[in-house]
Amino acid sequence: MHHAHIDKFAYQDSAIHRLDSRVKAIVVLVFTAVVISLPRTSPSILACYAIGPFAILVWARIPLRFVFKQILLVSPFVLVLALSCPLYDKTPVTLNFGPFHWRSSLGWLRCFVILGKFTVTMLALIGLVSTTRFNHLLAGLQRLRVPRLLVIQLGFLYRYIFVLIDRAHHILRARAGRKLRHLGFRAELRTAASMLGSLFIRSIDTAEHISTAMQARGFDGRWRTLSKLKIRRSDVLFALIAALFMLGLHVFVRPVLP
Amino acid sequence: MHMANELLSIPVATGTLAIAAAGLGFLCRKVRRVIAADKLALMGILGAFVFAGQMVNFQLPAMPGTSGHMIGAVLLAIILGPHLGAIVISSVVIIQCLIFQDGGLLALGCNIINMALVPSYLGYYVYRIVTAGRFSSVRAYIGAMIASVLAVQAGAILVPIQAALSGVLVVPLSTFLITMIGIHFLVGFVEGLMTVAVLAYLQQLRPDLVADSLPGKVRLSRKAVLATLAVFAVIIAAGLSLLASDLPDGLEWSYAERPDQPDFKSSVSNQDSRISEVDDFQSKYSPLPDYSLRASKVGAVAEQEADVGAGWTSFAGVVGSLLTMTAIWLTAWILRKKQSP
Repeated sequence: MHHAHIDKFAYQDSAIHRLDSRVKAIVVLVFTAVVISLPRTSPSILACYAIGPFAILVWARIPLRFVFKQILLVSPFVLVLALSCPLYDKTPVTLNFGPFHWRSSLGWLRCFVILGKFTVTMLALIGLVSTTRFNHLLAGLQRLRVPRLLVIQLGFLYRYIFVLIDRAHHILRARAGRKLRHLGFRAELRTAASMLGSLFIRSIDTAEHISTAMQARGFDGRWRTLSKLKIRRSDVLFALIAALFMLGLHVFVRPVLP
Repeated sequence: MHMANELLSIPVATGTLAIAAAGLGFLCRKVRRVIAADKLALMGILGAFVFAGQMVNFQLPAMPGTSGHMIGAVLLAIILGPHLGAIVISSVVIIQCLIFQDGGLLALGCNIINMALVPSYLGYYVYRIVTAGRFSSVRAYIGAMIASVLAVQAGAILVPIQAALSGVLVVPLSTFLITMIGIHFLVGFVEGLMTVAVLAYLQQLRPDLVADSLPGKVRLSRKAVLATLAVFAVIIAAGLSLLASDLPDGLEWSYAERPDQPDFKSSVSNQDSRISEVDDFQSKYSPLPDYSLRASKVGAVAEQEADVGAGWTSFAGVVGSLLTMTAIWLTAWILRKKQSP
């Protein structure tokens, strides 16, 4: 199995990685909400908000090039949305930025703000995912009263994504090796459907094997973890710093920065 | 179709998150009573199948360079039943958000509703209604086709509506809506073709799966089917009337959202060709959330222009932030250098 694991950095170790997953998840959720609720015409304040997730990413030793590549990878939909703003909103405005002044339209300003918010919230989300192992996150979610069925479902899903993606790669390679040219729509559709169908049947068979094996070992629909989740002093400190950071920006910087 | 954080306002985001959480919680409790532990692995792996299945793409005709793939919500709903299907697809959406960062954290509620709950139930019920009575494969294929088109379409229509309710649309709602409907008609059509083709394949190899005898499948009573369909009909009718009646709801919403703009009309009427349309905005197209938004921005920027110092403050803010980030990065770098040798 060889994949670009999206959360490969979650298996590193640092002070950030050791924090409780619940604390991190809640902090990131609140941070996202705060950033999204910022006014839609002030791009400059976003730079201040970016400091927080940036510091976390640097501290946790997540390569920044990986982070920005990831952001670029998921951006197309937002990019289309943002770039359609200048087409529809042509109100002329003058933007003053230090020694620079330029005439532009409100649409461009909005486009810029949307992209900025997207980047900042994505920095925070990547900061969460790439510093938290997924099973820790799931254990945290279970403690936060997410239904157990859903948690188990997510656990199974995460465990088998890469197995099945591997199988899909095999099937795709087999098709590429045999097809060699474009076959016309009907044949293409039939081929793809047979690929999906066989993948589906194999998945169901695998599931039967797995559940037999798990039941033989006493699985009763309950996830048991060795690690006990505990809020430690460092978690409290982290939450406090995060709260101070957001509150400080809200009280002191937001009224000053346009 | 993944909604982004930026398309939502906080009230809409929390509202949809609450609805999605309540719906999922209810489903989990309901399903938990019915299924045995051995179905858990099946659900999980079929979720993974959805991911893997999305990699199997094929070229579309008439549009060189584009390729289609299956979403799989309707297929899973047909084979697993709507409850299990909805839970599986929801978990797929959650993983897409958390692991692949597709769709924002705040938009998770919207995404679960649009891409998991609505397509699963709507697709399943349409399929059941078309295939009611004795099982015949032709009917099953027609049912799957219609179900896929409708299910994808319903989810797609909800995206612009949620964005309009949030009052963040710059693009006129009707344009956005028509674009979404157009694109997703195509997507739904491809989805339908794929679903039918896969069902036909499964019918040959494992007819037991298609003729819904997969053990552990949860089925619903006719009454529940009709009740849910009625709810969907109301939701979709409400959405369409929102479009047809020049969005009074969107307007009220955007007013309720921003009481802090008294100069709504004056600021709108000072530019471009839409001045005349502001007066009779009920007559034709008028992206109202957009107007109120514009008012807010014009106000803010006008203030900015009046205050020359504002430019310098923002300059200082941005440069200061960048310097801070550089300092953090340098410190980390130096510390690491010290540790490693």
